[in-house]
Amino acid sequence: MNTGQIISGAGHLALISWALFGGVFRSDPPPFEVVEATTISTEEFAALLARQSAPEAVANVDTPEPPAPGDAAPPLASTPDTPPESTPPPAQETAPPDSAPDVTEITPPAPAEVTDTAPVLEPPQEDVAVVVPEVSPRPKPRPAPRVAPEAVAPPEPDVRIDEVAQPEVAPDEGAEVPQEPAEATAQEEAATEIVTEAEESKDTAPTSSLRPKPRPSRPVAQAETPKPAETPKPATTETPKPAAPATDQSAVNDALAAALGTSQNTNTAPSGPPLTSGEKDALRVAVQQCWNVGSLSTEALGTTVVVSVRMGEDGKPDNGSIRMDSFSGGGDAAARQAFEAARRAIIRCGANGFNLPPEKYDQWRDIEMTFNPESMRIK
Amino acid sequence: MMRFMMTLLAALTLWAMPALAQGNGPLRIEITEGVIEPMPFAVPDFVSDSAAGQELGRNIASVIAADLTGTGLFRQIPNSAHISRITSFDSPVQYADWRAINAQALITGAVSTDGAGRIVAKFRIYDVFSGQELGAGQQLVGTQDGWRRIAHKVADQVYSRITGEGGYFDSRVVFVAESGPKDQRAKRLGIMDYDGANVQYLTDSTSIVLAPRFSPTGDRVLYTSYETGFPRIYVLDVASVGRRELPTQDATMSFAPRFSPNGRTVVYSLTQGGNTDLYTMDIGTGASSRLTTAPSIETAPSYSPDGSQIVFESDRSGTPQLYIMAAGDGEARRISFGEGRYGTPVWSPRGDLVAFTKQSKGRFHIGVMRTDGSEERLLTASFLDEGPTWAPNGRVIMFTRETQGEQGQASLYSVDITGRNLKQVPTSTGASDPSWSPLQN
Amino acid sequence: MTYLSKTLILCAGLALAACTNPNRFDDGNAVDLNNGAGAGLAGSAQDPSSPAYFQQTVGDRVLFAVDQSTLGSEAQVTLDGQANWLMTNRDFTAVIEGHADEQGTREYNLALGARRANAVQEYLIGRGVSPNRLRVVSYGKERPIEICSNEACYAKNRRAVTVLAAGLGS
Repeated sequence: MNTGQIISGAGHLALISWALFGGVFRSDPPPFEVVEATTISTEEFAALLARQSAPEAVANVDTPEPPAPGDAAPPLASTPDTPPESTPPPAQETAPPDSAPDVTEITPPAPAEVTDTAPVLEPPQEDVAVVVPEVSPRPKPRPAPRVAPEAVAPPEPDVRIDEVAQPEVAPDEGAEVPQEPAEATAQEEAATEIVTEAEESKDTAPTSSLRPKPRPSRPVAQAETPKPAETPKPATTETPKPAAPATDQSAVNDALAAALGTSQNTNTAPSGPPLTSGEKDALRVAVQQCWNVGSLSTEALGTTVVVSVRMGEDGKPDNGSIRMDSFSGGGDAAARQAFEAARRAIIRCGANGFNLPPEKYDQWRDIEMTFNPESMRIK
Repeated sequence: MMRFMMTLLAALTLWAMPALAQGNGPLRIEITEGVIEPMPFAVPDFVSDSAAGQELGRNIASVIAADLTGTGLFRQIPNSAHISRITSFDSPVQYADWRAINAQALITGAVSTDGAGRIVAKFRIYDVFSGQELGAGQQLVGTQDGWRRIAHKVADQVYSRITGEGGYFDSRVVFVAESGPKDQRAKRLGIMDYDGANVQYLTDSTSIVLAPRFSPTGDRVLYTSYETGFPRIYVLDVASVGRRELPTQDATMSFAPRFSPNGRTVVYSLTQGGNTDLYTMDIGTGASSRLTTAPSIETAPSYSPDGSQIVFESDRSGTPQLYIMAAGDGEARRISFGEGRYGTPVWSPRGDLVAFTKQSKGRFHIGVMRTDGSEERLLTASFLDEGPTWAPNGRVIMFTRETQGEQGQASLYSVDITGRNLKQVPTSTGASDPSWSPLQN
Repeated sequence: MTYLSKTLILCAGLALAACTNPNRFDDGNAVDLNNGAGAGLAGSAQDPSSPAYFQQTVGDRVLFAVDQSTLGSEAQVTLDGQANWLMTNRDFTAVIEGHADEQGTREYNLALGARRANAVQEYLIGRGVSPNRLRVVSYGKERPIEICSNEACYAKNRRAVTVLAAGLGS
């Protein structure tokens, strides 16, 4: 068994175990994704889960999408030269090609000369030995033509691509309310961030030294993002958890709403209690699935727009009521494009009605949505 | 503890007041996560009342579709999937039919020919889901031969209207066309549309030519040629293909020229006594002045869009790195600090970024960084990538990629500055050293 | 193996390689005589005053390390030979071509090739060759002599070649 076979064997073993157990690691959310997760309390998370697990058969049934498999799944960006594994590490300057043959000349006497020539046989450069791919701390996101908050594995070939993943619904004889049959849909394959060719090939780079990170890590950027709508920062002191403004705010909101319930109810119409953060999150998630910033200019990607919309009781937006209240961070033109993308998101994902509690209609009749693309800009 | 309670109380009061005041105001949510995916669009054939016009209408629509799809920001919904047909430019659009196939943008158009070689094209852009026309319809007039330019101009309008980014389709690229084996490679200057169509050659291949660079108005090209046996800089008029040598010093080599943004000055490298430094020359008078005097190599200069600064490559630190200096004086500050060697910096037309070639661990990359050197981002990786050039809108970079080994060939590639949408630019021969023109008028 | 025999073999190999592509450069005003050796003793490698002798026996090129333009001891031996030959055969001028391997940008390699050619020129001048008989030019990575993409070829491409031309015309 020669060295080549050993290395090859080790490599294969590593590859196989990665294929077998890689999924385990992958299910751990990558570090920077945690930011979103920590803002949700277990209770809210449970609410979210409950909401999502309920099959929403009605959504999107009436939008038959053309199959067009070629279009729906654009080929992965694999260029002829991407498999860098095959490229041997560049030969180093220092090894003169004729140093090895010289060894034969050592056999004749001249011991003094042997010591002279021996140093010529330099130990192999450390680069040369590194054939084993770098063990990356977590599986790298694979490049996909779509970038979304959650990574989506390539869907089954015969599944229709849709904004919202939904299970197949077959007509159920015994059900009290007959459900409409619906074809199963899946979200299009997506990565959580843009993977450039340079980043893709990083895995195979020799481990000898760390490549400098090309950009600041996202959590920092997010933490710095000012949340425009909130004033009372100190509210977070209530909880020992480190700043997680958005949902802490709504948690506090809920608690206070309960405490102040009487006084608030006196000056409002029969509106039911305010939306829980779970309900609000569900709405947020529903809208963000259709908020496509992929065709926005870099300036529009730096523009936050506040959009208001009046909702119908059926949970569908009144498309004519959608308007831009304000914008910041970019010029008029950029704001217009940013607004149009936001409007498309509301209309497209609201076409079948958002899942909002009807008994609280007054609470969500008017919605003001702030579309802040800050964290999308450098994906 | 007391203090904590007070703070909490104050906070609660502060919070409660606006909450009470706003009463039953709108529900507020903030959306910070979205998706990045190509926007689906439909562009039915442009309608026409003549058979010849219909063919033209089909061709124009397909070039528009290719332009938009080629950005990676859009995805065409094929005509076969369309439910309603556009038969008249002025009849109302059946939005529901387009929504049903998830076309988010719709481009309709009409084309007519006057029989005298002129064509008139009209087009409209619709936001299907909001049921609105995006901007007013427009009309373009051009020659029959120039139908591709008309299509590019329509696509530029659509791209610009939807993304907010300036267009770049109606532009040209000057490059070095290559043929023959690596050790006897024949090179000549070529010019083509940005998408590889309409290739013309500007020189023959009797001498090596290198690195052509467009003037800011796209009417002239600077390049380096060995026609005297020594590398010298020439300026070529694109329309007449006439050229003249830049009057640099005798017994020197001059190369790596670029225009200043006003088109009157050329910055270049001149080698004398083995030492390469930066010089500028007034292209009208031929008067030159020396910018750097270091014993190190100073080359690959590129002006900032306002003409006040120059970014260049120098090995004064021991390895090639990027530096920025004021256009008039020699004080330079280093901006590249990553691991590896940096070269051929090019200032983006927007002024915010510098594109460069980076060599690290035996591979080459095209990357971008801010002009202070921060936020370095590598966009590509291959055996040999080099010589980036910016699209007129500063959103896309084209560069040379050369393959490895004895059969190695050079070709042109482009990539979005996000690192997405890496693809080869079609050329009929080998190609290198692209330079992207500004948008044509 | 002695230096001399190594050098001889190297030179012979390179000479053969060079023979595969006559007129490979576009020297407008320099007559490239190195490859033009015709029949007969006068032009052959046995004639010590022939360009072929200069090319094959003296050695017309020196090699450099990566990114370097300094002349090693082997290169100096070759250049001493070149200087002696040029001092003896005063009818010839020479253009020194600097080259680089393909690792590096086009512009930087042009400048690097110029450094190498200049190092040779200065050495020859230091050995008594008149400066007005020598010109330098850099081809950067435009004209590799070996076309593979590994160090074996790169080493041969990082070179400065002294190309003879007749007369003091240029």
